[in-house]
Amino acid sequence: MADYRELWQKLGMDLEKHDVLCEVLPQLYGGVYLSQENRPEGMNYYNFVVSEVHGLRIKELDDHKQQGGKVVGTFCIFVPDELILAAGAIGVGLCAGSQFWIEDGERVLPRNICPLVKAFTGAKLSGTCPYFQSCDMIIGETTCDAKKKAWEILDEYVDTYVMDLPQMKREKDYKKWAEEIYDLKDKLEKLTGNTITEEKLHEAIKLCNRKRKALQRLYNARKALNVPISGKDALLISQIAFYDNPERFIEMTNKLCDELEERIEKGISINKKGDKRILISGTPMAVPNWKIHHIVETSGAVVVAEETCTGTRYFENLVDETPTTMDGMINALADRYLKINCACFTPNKGREEDIIRLAKEYRADGVIYNSLQFCHTYNIEYAKVEKALKEAGIPVIFIESDYSNDDIGQIQTRVEAFLEMIGQ
Amino acid sequence: MEYDYYILFNTHTNGLMLANKLKENNIKYTIVPTPRQLSKCCGIAITYALKDEKAILDIIDKSAIKVSGLHSLERKNIDIKFI
Repeated sequence: MADYRELWQKLGMDLEKHDVLCEVLPQLYGGVYLSQENRPEGMNYYNFVVSEVHGLRIKELDDHKQQGGKVVGTFCIFVPDELILAAGAIGVGLCAGSQFWIEDGERVLPRNICPLVKAFTGAKLSGTCPYFQSCDMIIGETTCDAKKKAWEILDEYVDTYVMDLPQMKREKDYKKWAEEIYDLKDKLEKLTGNTITEEKLHEAIKLCNRKRKALQRLYNARKALNVPISGKDALLISQIAFYDNPERFIEMTNKLCDELEERIEKGISINKKGDKRILISGTPMAVPNWKIHHIVETSGAVVVAEETCTGTRYFENLVDETPTTMDGMINALADRYLKINCACFTPNKGREEDIIRLAKEYRADGVIYNSLQFCHTYNIEYAKVEKALKEAGIPVIFIESDYSNDDIGQIQTRVEAFLEMIGQ
Repeated sequence: MEYDYYILFNTHTNGLMLANKLKENNIKYTIVPTPRQLSKCCGIAITYALKDEKAILDIIDKSAIKVSGLHSLERKNIDIKFI
């Protein structure tokens, strides 16, 4: 077994504390993932990535840094990966899906803010996330108040750059976002010492579009009546997309999709006849937050899609590959990214339309609206979404939760009642 | 009592090489995180069915793949606790 302790030490990690995480992860993964029946063989790749989650990929980041490369951490799907890649840096989406980091986050943050913000802050402060420790810079954004203020604290620990995301979608907001993307380009060029040329940016746009297409293909397979892959597995793949090597991820995900399409043809399914099809909508689910999916899929239902940042919002809409000038490409990036319907925007009618469209496309029997605790924008937006879904005749239930185990029984009971209700 | 069977490796490369060989030979396997009871280091292991053990040992013998041992662990029902 490879020993990564020397590498972790070099990254300034708290080895003793990190060991606690290493100890529980195999057991959790075994219980949630490996206990599933009839998984596609292609999931072995993602089992591999999880097994080496703090090993092989961290070694790859270290090798890149040894050669003078930079690693940049991000927390939000509005930050354009294309620019990071075009600057010759590696981008990693930083995990913030564990209760493990909450206590350390609460050392510097109030308790009554969202667990995702507390977790990523705690991950840095505790020195237990090797991805965070590998970052030369992190890119934050202004998608919520908790994040906005947390960046100021994180900046004391790691170089933190913040993109100012407009919160409306008027013509001037698109222009403003394009300016922000230009500013990020300058910042990344300074950090890496590399110029982002038109050629490099165009290549990066094509690469990210290929990754989006692989994820679109994966999600398309889930529209089948005989669902070839569990929601849990699809969620894991989306989560891995945020930090894996993009080329390898695209290759392995397309291979898995070949298998899924074959399964659909042969009628091989992970669901039983009569299992309810559920669309999950709401806040992102970062590794290892598999809680709601696990509850749903052990209650006689299958999750067929996620209208979340770790779901369709991440890969819907491609960047237009036609422009080849810098201005043209930056505008194409601004256009694509501002199409994302996040609850931080006002008004946000597009998200209601997205949820209704996805519920129909994926033939969902019902929607579980899932919001992290204290996530004001998603919590408040539920009222509008609920009204729109009711008008469209789509059943919906609201679940607010965090990363703890305390409410699992309660959520299970509510989910079971919801599934029974939509079955009538 | 039921058991799960694991093959451990000193590098992930050997693990992936064996996985490819098992696939070529139509032997069912699963890549899994190494259980803590078997090793303190993070990394991959392979689980297999006991009925395939002889065939797997033959494949290992005939190849340059290095394994750091075959192990079994009693299967236990453990309550899932999210972290």
